[in-house]
Amino acid sequence: MGILWRIIGMAADYPIRLALAYITALLAIGFSLAIPWLFGNAIDLMVGQDPNTKGFFEKAFSLQALAVFGVGILAVSLGRGFCDLGRTYTTESLSQKVSFDCRNLLYDKLQNVSFAFHDKEHTGDLMSRATADVEAMRRFVNMGMIRSLDVVIRILAIPIILVLVHWQLALVSMIFVPAIVLRSSFVMRSLRRKWLHVQEVMGQSVTVLQENLAGMHVVKAFASEDYERVKYNRKAEELRVEYYDAERMQGTNSAWMTLYFTFALGIILWIGGWLVIRGDLTLGQLAMFFLYLNQLTFPVRMSAQIINTFSRAISSGQRLFTVLDTVSPVSERSNAADMGRATGHVKFENVAFSYEDRSPALRQVDLDAKPGQVTAILGAPGSGKTTVVSLLPRFYDVTSGKITIDGSDIRDFTLQSLRHNVGIVHQDVYLFSASIRDNISYGVVGATQEDVERAAKVAQLHDQIMSLPGGYDTWVGERGTTLSGGQRQRLSIARTILIDPPVLILDDSTSSVDVETERQIHRAMTEVMKGRTTFVIAHRLSTVREADQILVLDKGVIAERGPHAELVRTGGIYQSIYELQLRPQEEVLLEAAVPAYGRAAL
Amino acid sequence: MMRGGGMGGGMMGGMRGTSADSMFAPSNDNLTDEEVVGRVYDNRVVKRFATYIGPYRKYALIALASLLTYAAVNASIPLLIKYGIDWAVAGGNVNRVHIIGAAFMVITVIHFLSNRLQFIFISLTGQHILYDLRAGMFSHLQNQSNSFYHRTPIGRIMSRMQSDVLQLQETFELMALALAELVTVGAIIILMLVIDWQLALACMLVVPILTLILMYWQRFARHSFMRIRRAIAMVNGEYNQNITGVRVVQSLNRQDENLAHFRTLNNEYLDANLEAARYSGMLQPMVELLIGLGIGVGVVLFGGFLLQRDALEVGTLAAFALWIQRFFEPIRQLTMQYSQLQRAMAAGVRIFEVLDLQPDVTDKPDASILPQVDGEIRYNDVVFHYTPGTDVLKNVNLHIKAGENVALVGSTGAGKSTLVNLLHRSADVTGGSITVDGHDLRDVTRQSLVHQMSMVLQEPYLFSGTVRENICYQNAGITDEEMIAASTAVGAHDFVMELANGYDSELAERGVNLSIGQRQLISFARAIVGNPRILVLDEATANIDTHTELLIQRALNRILKDRTSIVIAHRLSTIRNADKIVVLDQGRVAEVGSHDELLESGGVYAQLYAINYGLSGPSIDVAPVGGEVIGADGLSPAAAD
Repeated sequence: MGILWRIIGMAADYPIRLALAYITALLAIGFSLAIPWLFGNAIDLMVGQDPNTKGFFEKAFSLQALAVFGVGILAVSLGRGFCDLGRTYTTESLSQKVSFDCRNLLYDKLQNVSFAFHDKEHTGDLMSRATADVEAMRRFVNMGMIRSLDVVIRILAIPIILVLVHWQLALVSMIFVPAIVLRSSFVMRSLRRKWLHVQEVMGQSVTVLQENLAGMHVVKAFASEDYERVKYNRKAEELRVEYYDAERMQGTNSAWMTLYFTFALGIILWIGGWLVIRGDLTLGQLAMFFLYLNQLTFPVRMSAQIINTFSRAISSGQRLFTVLDTVSPVSERSNAADMGRATGHVKFENVAFSYEDRSPALRQVDLDAKPGQVTAILGAPGSGKTTVVSLLPRFYDVTSGKITIDGSDIRDFTLQSLRHNVGIVHQDVYLFSASIRDNISYGVVGATQEDVERAAKVAQLHDQIMSLPGGYDTWVGERGTTLSGGQRQRLSIARTILIDPPVLILDDSTSSVDVETERQIHRAMTEVMKGRTTFVIAHRLSTVREADQILVLDKGVIAERGPHAELVRTGGIYQSIYELQLRPQEEVLLEAAVPAYGRAAL
Repeated sequence: MMRGGGMGGGMMGGMRGTSADSMFAPSNDNLTDEEVVGRVYDNRVVKRFATYIGPYRKYALIALASLLTYAAVNASIPLLIKYGIDWAVAGGNVNRVHIIGAAFMVITVIHFLSNRLQFIFISLTGQHILYDLRAGMFSHLQNQSNSFYHRTPIGRIMSRMQSDVLQLQETFELMALALAELVTVGAIIILMLVIDWQLALACMLVVPILTLILMYWQRFARHSFMRIRRAIAMVNGEYNQNITGVRVVQSLNRQDENLAHFRTLNNEYLDANLEAARYSGMLQPMVELLIGLGIGVGVVLFGGFLLQRDALEVGTLAAFALWIQRFFEPIRQLTMQYSQLQRAMAAGVRIFEVLDLQPDVTDKPDASILPQVDGEIRYNDVVFHYTPGTDVLKNVNLHIKAGENVALVGSTGAGKSTLVNLLHRSADVTGGSITVDGHDLRDVTRQSLVHQMSMVLQEPYLFSGTVRENICYQNAGITDEEMIAASTAVGAHDFVMELANGYDSELAERGVNLSIGQRQLISFARAIVGNPRILVLDEATANIDTHTELLIQRALNRILKDRTSIVIAHRLSTIRNADKIVVLDQGRVAEVGSHDELLESGGVYAQLYAINYGLSGPSIDVAPVGGEVIGADGLSPAAAD
């Protein structure tokens, strides 16, 4: 219930619309309730009953009286129409506003919540929250909050009117009302669980689908189409069964509701007819009973839907609010300060870190990188290289220990100012569907063409961009021109150095495709490292050798540290990497004594 | 008759539209992204959809029967009331009241049963059909070649399988209800005409006006429907991009700008919806007015007039009042669902577009099962192109003996990947033929062929599921011993055992909770666990870190031993140790020979070799790279000539 109140609270942010919606809805109901009354009276005006013979006779023709009722009905209908117009519009706009707000909140939450959250969440699932679940909330505002008024008021008002007309008949025909209420509340609860489950299964099937499509080359390479079919069909089958289950429950509920009303009509005809013959009820009043009850049919049929919007809103709301309420493990302190521009003295003091439920990824990491120094980080996969550098821009927060820049704990600063000071070039380069220019200037709003070009030049990318037909306007990302791995990486370098961070992280553990690209990336990296405190996860010997210090990580612990010249003699991990990687290369160099500098000139 | 109800005209009128006639004959290349604005009724979609009902005929028939019964009973309830008043009550006959009352109760039971059956069987039919559609689309997508996936963004396929199918699902049930409502309206009209045609006509005078209004209204509705669709596509696109790119967004502090941008898109969507709300709201007073006209003028005034002249019974009047209420409500409801129908037809078109895609590679009807091979491969005058006129491979002749290790060398775009991709029939040759142990690849089933070869690609791709499921991907029947042997051979066993649950550890989506190197090790294990006769490594070590590469290098000799292998690699030691080096240059085999032979001959290979390994410029790379040359980025001038 708390969830519904919360949604209602979001709607209450628009009090005028909300009030107007309720007012117009009430007026519309009032008008429509007047119609049977007018009609019944018109009939009594036309037909009378002889008190002795109990037979009917037509009363004297009174055009005037009839016209009053006819025009009255017309006027009331018109009034109802306009109120309905007002209700439809205000309700719709209210519900759209709520879903608008919801999408904005969700969007902002997702782009700010820390990496730990995104590590666990599947894109498909987050998408369905933004689409299906937001829509379920919107429908709740529309149907559950406003239209339900219609149902509730009619269910309350019509019995009262009928009691005033003839209380015995009213009571007999209304015995079903408590039953409806009871049944509805019962069904509502189980439907809620059902729909929640359906949505879960749906999310799972989407994940299977998405993985299959993205990994189609693997599926092909292993001819495992049939296996994939089985995997997907299992989910689709589960979905079918669950959907059917939920729909059957819903349909059954709706059928029972309708039953109550048809039954009531029968009772009215049966007992009411008998009462008319006895002279206890006029024909017009009987007609009123029919028309009022008829007016109840539609709202009650809809009440099943409305109940459904309640249950869906609860389940969807739960899914949405879980995300919206996620407290990012990385959050700013209330008194977080602006960092300004740091000089770039980075220190790790006894840092330990573990990803949520896993064993520690880093232990007792101490390091000291002075402004402008280059620190190379090496180690086996899973040894914690990427983790170390991810802590610095606070994509994750240390579990214990602390990291300081220029002597202050990085948690004392605003995230924005920290990340302005710490740039990172990720291992997986993500490009946005936008022009190359927009991709480069992604982190700097209002960057000029000159800024962009300067960054591209430093990243050794400018010439290649210019050779594209569209130049800087070339569209990349999905549906855009495909850039090679090397170009993507340099583009990533360009957009990072455009923010000109004093501390730079190059996560470069992938070796690229070919020599020329290697060379270009190396040149780019050498350029960008100038004057910055740099952390580089690298395999280029040149980089490693020139680094001021080398850290070799082993299972989350710094196993070796020091400059190349020192480490290469210690007989540790570094030396073995060095030996195994360099020896063959030197052999080649000796063997192929072919002067080939010509290539570099290109 | 149903059309007479005012629906038909209005809908058909608004139907002419942009929906292309070719919508069912998609060019195989593209699933177009354009918003196909469907007709509200597209015969081809409905017909095609109807074939899916076939297997569930029984359910559908029960659904239809109960639906018709329900509608008929629904329409006849006022009739019963009329007779109750005129035949029983007006005559003052209490017995007749009891008869009618009892009859009504019987009708109530039928009403309930048919209503319940209708719900159950519509859902049963619908869900079965949706399952078939989903499974059918998925299955069909498995048959599409790699080149299809290369040119079709996944998002586009996803949206067809997800939102379009959901769209259809909503509509299927809606259409069933719409049918019930149309039948009800039809039945009401018939009953009204039969009972009193004069009064019926008087009441229905307003129908043509309603039709006109609806037609006019559709034009606006259509416009805002399109606007809404466009806007939501933008909103979802931006949202999706922000999730997938969230790491960059945070690294570059882009949150504020992104939110502002998103708000703009979101606002447009809001505006579009509000516009639509204004249009649909406008319809409301019109319909209400018309109902009022029907009751006020038709029933009260004209009915009263008839009553005075003894031309009408009072029960008829009451029945008409009830009918008119039931008559307009479905019409209004249907109008509201107009855009939903449009959307569903468009969704149907897009779904069938997927189902109509022609797979590039299919097994011949008489394809045989490839027997266990030794692994001798021959390329005979192989020509291949994706688009006519630009041959990627030109008359490639190549003989690889069983058990031979072959290294493929050449610059970017020389056709190396294409050459190996043809081997597992990711596409069929344009000219010439490829044989394995003398069997033309096209004469055997793809399944039996591919099961005897394995590939490791540059980008390790794993599925969510356990490590075990990933390693045993090709064949779930692999024993634990075989699995452990394979992963030990590639050096993956140790780190797998360090995971929380060893081989039963769950991998996240695409295995992102492992490093790229670890993922690649698992994909190596996956490749060799089935002990394939032929192994293809397509730049398998290009993307991984040096450490893992070392591990793999050590394992490579073991892995390649006794198998036919084709390796596209950069590492010199791999290339140099190959039995045979094949140099491709611009789609042709330029040279074939051993390392020493080729160096001696001083041809392309010698040049490549010199350039890549001889030159290190100012830097000496820890990881020697090579094999691939130069042109590299695909932008700079093509390589070695």
